Amino acid sequence: MGGSVSKIMGKIFGTKEMRILMLGLDAAGKTTILYKLKLTNQDVTTIPTVGFNVESVTYKNVKFNVWDVGGQDKIRPLWRHYYSGTQGLIFVVDSSDTQRMDEARSELHKIINDREMKDALLLVFANKQDIQGHLSPEEVTNALQLTKLKDKLWYVAPSVATEGTGIFEGLAWLSNNVKTPPQK
Amino acid sequence: MATALPLRPSGNDSNSLQPTSSDSSSKTNGLPRLSPATSLLRRSPSGAHTAVHQRSVDHVAPNSRPRRHKSQYPLDSPERHVEYILVASFHIDRGPIMEHQYPAAISGDESMLAELMLPDQTHVRSQDWTIFFLHKDTSADEDEGSDSEKKKKKKRRPSMQGNEYAENGDEFDSSEDSAESSDDEDGGEGPPLMYVLNLVNTKQDNTVRRGAVVKAMAICTRHSFLHIYKPLLLLALEDYFKSPYPETLATLYHAVNAMDLSLMPKLSMLERQILQATDSKDMFIEKFEGIIQQRLAKGEEIGEPGSPVSPKRAAAGYILPRDTHEFESKVVYNDIPIPVKVPTVIWPETVGDFSLIKLIQTFSAPHSASPQPFLLHPHLTTNGAFTHPIIVLINAMLTQKRVIFLGHNRPSGEVAEAVLAACALASGGILRGFTRHAFPYTDLTKIDDLLKVPGFIAGVTNPTFANHPEWWDLLCDLPTGRIKISSRIEPAPVTEGLVYFQQQNSFIASGSSGSGSDPTGDHAFMDDIQRGITNRHGENAIRAKWREYIIKFTRVAAAFEEAVYGTSNLFVIGPGEELSPDSPSGLQADPLNPTTLRGHGYVWPDEGSKQRELIASVSRIEGWRNTRSYYGFIQDIASMYYPARPIKRPDLHHHHDRLKKLKLSHADSGAVYLAFAHSVKDYAGICQLLTVTPERNAGLFYLSMGLFHPDHTVRESTVDLLDRIASHPAGRHFWAQLGRFAKLAYFRLKRDRETAQSPVSASKAQASMPFGIHQSLVGVALGDGNVRKS
Repeated sequence: MGGSVSKIMGKIFGTKEMRILMLGLDAAGKTTILYKLKLTNQDVTTIPTVGFNVESVTYKNVKFNVWDVGGQDKIRPLWRHYYSGTQGLIFVVDSSDTQRMDEARSELHKIINDREMKDALLLVFANKQDIQGHLSPEEVTNALQLTKLKDKLWYVAPSVATEGTGIFEGLAWLSNNVKTPPQK
Repeated sequence: MATALPLRPSGNDSNSLQPTSSDSSSKTNGLPRLSPATSLLRRSPSGAHTAVHQRSVDHVAPNSRPRRHKSQYPLDSPERHVEYILVASFHIDRGPIMEHQYPAAISGDESMLAELMLPDQTHVRSQDWTIFFLHKDTSADEDEGSDSEKKKKKKRRPSMQGNEYAENGDEFDSSEDSAESSDDEDGGEGPPLMYVLNLVNTKQDNTVRRGAVVKAMAICTRHSFLHIYKPLLLLALEDYFKSPYPETLATLYHAVNAMDLSLMPKLSMLERQILQATDSKDMFIEKFEGIIQQRLAKGEEIGEPGSPVSPKRAAAGYILPRDTHEFESKVVYNDIPIPVKVPTVIWPETVGDFSLIKLIQTFSAPHSASPQPFLLHPHLTTNGAFTHPIIVLINAMLTQKRVIFLGHNRPSGEVAEAVLAACALASGGILRGFTRHAFPYTDLTKIDDLLKVPGFIAGVTNPTFANHPEWWDLLCDLPTGRIKISSRIEPAPVTEGLVYFQQQNSFIASGSSGSGSDPTGDHAFMDDIQRGITNRHGENAIRAKWREYIIKFTRVAAAFEEAVYGTSNLFVIGPGEELSPDSPSGLQADPLNPTTLRGHGYVWPDEGSKQRELIASVSRIEGWRNTRSYYGFIQDIASMYYPARPIKRPDLHHHHDRLKKLKLSHADSGAVYLAFAHSVKDYAGICQLLTVTPERNAGLFYLSMGLFHPDHTVRESTVDLLDRIASHPAGRHFWAQLGRFAKLAYFRLKRDRETAQSPVSASKAQASMPFGIHQSLVGVALGDGNVRKS
């Protein structure tokens, strides 16, 4: 009930609400991004996520409800339970972890091929751009084979989560491209 | 002094009245059935529960050594207090993993266990508790207890196959099997649940990769009072961070298993009911004294240390409990003695140290501040859209809905507590089948298995559950204190009973009509509960009230079944009792035998209120009639509750209710007093009577009104009955609580009796007490009855 009231308010004042799911391999920087978004100017130190984190972040009149789900191999099968109602997927890649790029690609394609995710926007953070030997956003795009995707709106944003670089640009892209109202 | 009291003086007398178990089941066989026994018997819900069985049998069996006190946890018992100690950690590459298990690896899915031990969001708090249950098979080296249990099960099974409802039972069974297999690959026979208490700590540590270490330690026990181990886990997990080796687990394991509970006496079922219902701190203290005397005597006779622990204990001395509701013992861990308190009375479905008060307040406060309408569902919203949320919850549990407690950003221990409290709420210590299907803490990893379980009760912290209304029927959100009925809930089927009542009373469509009235009495009940909480009556009092609520529910359901189907599964008809619902209650079948008083079941002040209440309760009773707790209850009546009752006739509860609720004529009330006086004679009989006269609910007041009856023989019989009660070890507490008014009458009658011994004063005594006075006293006393309840 509270939800529907805020939806009406959203219509009147033009604020949008968006459910975002943030996934990626373990130690890609998901939780750091989440708390950098939430706590803008503070230093964030994170430890491995057991289960999930969820926070809401308001940026440019859009309220993002961001779900950050732990990335360890064994708990990845749980990701699918978070799909329903998701409007945007943030996939976080550790650009310096070239060895696991294939693993990241296969996980990503598994997610976006799910029926429940077919309408979701895809934002990829090519994270850890500050680390030696990192791939550029273009190289990440290729490694993830994003160009193969059809009927999918996607964008790769370079980022350094620990410094907060690039993450709000990514959010801006999401808020500019979201069209459908939140679905329950 | 107490040891001089024979505790079961006439236990053997009552045995002559005992029907054998086959006898009692033959009585129920006239009725529709002992249902899905196959599954329910095999899977008795808890360790505590099997103990209930044994104890009640023990109570009625001819006792060769009547004065021998038995221990609930004998020293020589092969059962260990704690069976396993586990340690798991969150591996930064691999997720949850099991690190060590002691004394051996617990069978089953290790990674599932590790996931359970590391609850969601454990990384955001430094410490968290969880509880979960394992449907674990007893291992190969298991004790004889479980063997004999298996034999018992085997013996019973064939008799179940002749059962008309076998088909129904099988169906039920298979659904249970799928539920079982979700947690236990072995499936098969269902031993008592294994309870797991788990502590998880997250320590920030800059010296390790990714900055933190998350470790969890768990204790696996078949005792439902697992909360006593909390301080030990705190110490042991701390030690484990320092020395992460199996030895740390071993130290804890041996410490907890050396705990001595052998001086905790075993109580019969009726005794346990009395103890739980009372506030007296020394109820049954005689039993504690007795078991100590026995130990001392034994030590002297044999003149040897007997048990390995005894020298230590001799030094400590034998101390009587300050409150007989708890038994105090200690666990010595690393030379630190840690005091523990073990509850004397353990009811089925009561696990851990939850608080009903907390649960009720969580969901009552937002409702009383700003009620929100529920989606209507006949099983749940029995008082319409604004039914009290706690009533919605209990209805959901009784009708076996899928219930989820969600506590986002709350410790998982908190959701686990809510789940355990809800189980106790719905069980009342009487119904069962809830904890066995409860998942005090679970997470997304187990969702597929969870959804295979019909009517689960689960605790989660992940708010994504709220986004999946297809997973649950009732969502109880702990942070907001709101309960939501799923938009995807299955509609209630139209049943025979519903049709019957609709035909009979076409003018009332459902309980929702006339929101002002309270036909189920639930509004009044919740108000009473609220008052009890506000007046700080305490957890025990609130639990007792819920117990009464559930007892009442089962009795109303029995009356409903008799009305609709002619007979009820929920009541074993006493010898000589007529089934027909319109046989006049209070009629004496045999004019020469006062105990042949007819009548049974719940008592309403009049036929109109009975009809109203039944109509309002139709849906939820019908919803209950196809559930595990319903079938389990039928089973328990036949195998446990009914056999534990030494007095089968008259129905004490029924006739005491009549004294309480009806304005009986002198002849009718006289018949009741005489029936009581003639049937309640021995130790167990008095216990049974005391279970229907709880001290919180007027105690012996209504019985004592027999002292004012116009008929001399009734007064005399009441004096005799009260005499017996007053000299009864439990009854003496009830007698002490009785008001001065009644006591004065009692002493006057005693005096008169003494003077009557000499023939001269007899006529005088009679003359000094004209009937008129008595009659008016009866009137006043009965009229005041309700006011006097305290």
